[in-house]
Amino acid sequence: MAPSNVRIREGFRLGLAHLGYAAIAFVFLLPLWWAVVSSLRPNGSVFADVFPFTAKALAPSPATLEAYEGVVQAGFGWIILNTLLVAAITTVAGLILNGAAGFAFAIFDFRGKRIILSLVILSFMLPFEAIALPLYNVMRQLGWLDSIAALVVPGVTNGLVVFLFYQFFRQIPRDYVEAARLDGVSWPNIMLRIYVPLSLPTCVSAALLLFVFQWEAFLWPLLAMPSQDFKVIQVGMAAFQQQYGTIWNQLFAVAVVTALIPIALLLPLQRYYVQGLAGAGIKG
Amino acid sequence: MFRQSSQGLLVALLAPALLGLFVFRLYPIAIAVVSSFYTTVHGSTVFTGLGNYESLISDHVFWRSLRVTLWFNLLVNPIQIAISLGLALLYIRKFPGASVYRIFFLIPIGVSVPVAAIVWRIMLSQGGLVNGLLDLVGVPPQPWLTSSSLALYSIIAIATWKGASYWMIFIVGGLQNISPELYDAARVDGVRPWQRLLFITLPLLRPALLFVLAADVSINFLLFAPIYMLTQGGPAGSTDVLMYEAYKQGFIFGDMGRAMAMVVVIVAILLIVVGLQFRLLSAREQGA
Amino acid sequence: MRHWTSALVVAVTGLIAATGASAQQHVLKMLVLSEDAPKVQKVAEAYQAKHPDVAIKMQSAPWDQYFQTAELRLNSKDKSVDLVYVDVPLIAGYASRGFLAPVDPNLDTSALVASSLNAGKYNGKLYALPINNSAQVLFYNKKLFADAGVTPPDGLTPGGTATQAQANEIASSKRWTWEQVAEAAQKLTQKKGGKTAVWGFSFDQINELYQLQPLGESLGTDVISPDGKTAQGYLDSPAWVKGATFWSDLYNKWGVSPKGLSHDEPPQLFANGQLALFAGGTWNLALFQKNGVDFGVAAFPYFQGGKALTPTGSWFIGVAANSVNKDIAADFAKFLTLSDEGTKMWFDANKQLPAYKPLLEQISRSPEFDAFPQDVFRIGVYDALNTAKPRPTTVAYGQLQDAFRTAFADMSNGVPVTDALATAVETYDAAMKRVAQ
Repeated sequence: MAPSNVRIREGFRLGLAHLGYAAIAFVFLLPLWWAVVSSLRPNGSVFADVFPFTAKALAPSPATLEAYEGVVQAGFGWIILNTLLVAAITTVAGLILNGAAGFAFAIFDFRGKRIILSLVILSFMLPFEAIALPLYNVMRQLGWLDSIAALVVPGVTNGLVVFLFYQFFRQIPRDYVEAARLDGVSWPNIMLRIYVPLSLPTCVSAALLLFVFQWEAFLWPLLAMPSQDFKVIQVGMAAFQQQYGTIWNQLFAVAVVTALIPIALLLPLQRYYVQGLAGAGIKG
Repeated sequence: MFRQSSQGLLVALLAPALLGLFVFRLYPIAIAVVSSFYTTVHGSTVFTGLGNYESLISDHVFWRSLRVTLWFNLLVNPIQIAISLGLALLYIRKFPGASVYRIFFLIPIGVSVPVAAIVWRIMLSQGGLVNGLLDLVGVPPQPWLTSSSLALYSIIAIATWKGASYWMIFIVGGLQNISPELYDAARVDGVRPWQRLLFITLPLLRPALLFVLAADVSINFLLFAPIYMLTQGGPAGSTDVLMYEAYKQGFIFGDMGRAMAMVVVIVAILLIVVGLQFRLLSAREQGA
Repeated sequence: MRHWTSALVVAVTGLIAATGASAQQHVLKMLVLSEDAPKVQKVAEAYQAKHPDVAIKMQSAPWDQYFQTAELRLNSKDKSVDLVYVDVPLIAGYASRGFLAPVDPNLDTSALVASSLNAGKYNGKLYALPINNSAQVLFYNKKLFADAGVTPPDGLTPGGTATQAQANEIASSKRWTWEQVAEAAQKLTQKKGGKTAVWGFSFDQINELYQLQPLGESLGTDVISPDGKTAQGYLDSPAWVKGATFWSDLYNKWGVSPKGLSHDEPPQLFANGQLALFAGGTWNLALFQKNGVDFGVAAFPYFQGGKALTPTGSWFIGVAANSVNKDIAADFAKFLTLSDEGTKMWFDANKQLPAYKPLLEQISRSPEFDAFPQDVFRIGVYDALNTAKPRPTTVAYGQLQDAFRTAFADMSNGVPVTDALATAVETYDAAMKRVAQ
């Protein structure tokens, strides 16, 4: 094969790949793009070019930062920090507690294991709305209403995360553990030196689960904090949707900021993900 | 499997998580189930045994809602998982410029459900963006969310838009565990790409896929937020899933007992479905 | 060391004594809509100034979650809720489920508008007091009318003034009929390149019972029976079929209303100058003025040969049945709804049509309300006293509202009128049977 032919073919394949990826990226980007544009417009003209649609709808015209100013004035900086705090604590505590349980289920056998494991799996098949009222009463009895504990603690233990760790730990070959046990290494050491390092990608996925759960929490933060002195993002955003009209541009301003934060957190991690997969693609 | 002679370690590992799950999930759902055997008459709760369930059996809205829920899940779950798998495979490829695309793939994870719903509603409206783009290629505007034949599929599309990237991350995590040497060896042996996908990747992804399947199906069976925000069960009940009906019964009409009865039905069906998934996907694992 | 510890003891006992003194404080907690919380707070502060031993704390939820949250808190028999901000049609449901404590029968409520007051009753007993009322009018875009060469309705316009008598005339004899609206709307709807650029007419709260109940009622039939037990013979009556057909024609036959809008898009359309006629609440005035729309305000339409009826009713304040501070809570409710000071403060903060007659008098007489847009309230005053028809009283209001909304949404999307209404009747009757055992 003459080298130039190969290069042309390679170039063509690359072009096609870009086209395909770009199409997918476009579909993912479009809604967020429109939200960005709308957040940069004055409230009255958010819908100006939407019905019927003209290309102008995709550019912020007229452009203004009034939505962002309004949002900052409404104290949204604090609301974002509040939510980050709750999400961070939940994530760290959740990784430890659920990871430990997942590990125990994967490695050990004990009486009643099947039943307990089934209950753990059942626990994530429950609609929140069904447990909202009883959970509220539990919080009341514990005296946790209007405290951060009410937001964090119920979100820490997560059956789905336990299941995630369980699935992962099961896959690790027995030989590592058996060899270490034969050498007389204690279980805590085995956990910390062998399993935890191996489980980092799973920890990232688990962290995503826990973090997003709190980031998107909506009804519960409203119920558990009746005096609303401590607000989280989704509740704060809903305040822009009022009885007689919505403050669209501010709503979108908050939406944009709150969308960018998880993405920003994921970015360094995704590089880590892909590095670990050197050449594991299906590419010929 | 190991048998642990000292209970101490086992308890220390399991107790905190199990305690939390019990107090904050299992105990509340038990209360909810019990409340499904009660109904409110003039302000006081009265035991009614299977009364709520009986009223569901004779309610044609319940049966229609059940049909819609089953059909919705029959479509949305395979579609979402297939797309997540495809996205994951695309995500990990390396070529010049790939890292830029990877950022875009992550966007739906950051966009919250209410925001996604609002934006998509506007984009799918009669004079909205999607119809505007279709107009460029000569396709007439479609009533995406206002036609009983299209609304459910629009919801499926929106739910997929939001969920595919999210599940993709878990599958990418699963792909991490497949050692590159397997692929190298296979390539050397002349195994073609699609064969590598089918005989190496998929089987080794089984634990991750099982996780995504169980989690995604659970979430979709219990889904109602996009419907609440976009179609309110309409048009003509075409998007009226059971969870939305239960929400209405409990929170709008104040009939908690009946709402919980519906929830029990939903969770029971979900348990059966997920149970089947485990049977089908785990059995082969043990044999291996 | 010694004097250190004794100083500490003195300080601590001092603190205990201080808290002991303020232990007289009664803390009232009020469930309220987030967007209205700051306004209620103002009135609460005035009350607290008069009653230093009372503290009132707001517990708020945003609009979309308010009813759900209130439902959950009240259902859990939470003792920590003292006052509830209740939307009028839910009063019957809340009262029947024992969420609200009845208002003292000896309380003099004659200063409140009768139609408002009656809406707060269940089984003859009053359970909540009206905080304000609502007014519905017909907005029209003067420029679009002029461009199309159509004569607009008689109404109030920017730069103009109106006495109560003039407002009364507009509301009584110059009111347009729905037939006139339809005719004008068809002439005003414009298409450009296959897409509609200007729509002729839209309602404010699409598909909602609150907005659309006058359609059938104007032609003589209520939505449900007086005892609330059934909708059969009412919602499916010839009067409602005619009213609903008008609704359906707006979307399907004449194409003058845009389909598939969500609950706050219609005002946006009018504010953008893309809608010629808009039947909606006076709360939209601020938005339209801010956007610089060249508009006027006429009275809410009625059917030719029928009665002029307007949507009415708004928020009430109720005392929670499980509250431990019922008397004090009731006193604050009285301050908010029946005192000159409380009602004026609320009106200034909220700018909604009051339910308190002395304030209505003030609106009619005071020069403050002569000029646009304040004179629009005078149309509201006329309507409140003459054409206002409250929403139906039923413990299954949620179900009724839901069935109604589904029916009208479906009809706007082309479902035949008789089918949609029949389904709504069936759904409501089934729900009523379950609820009122």
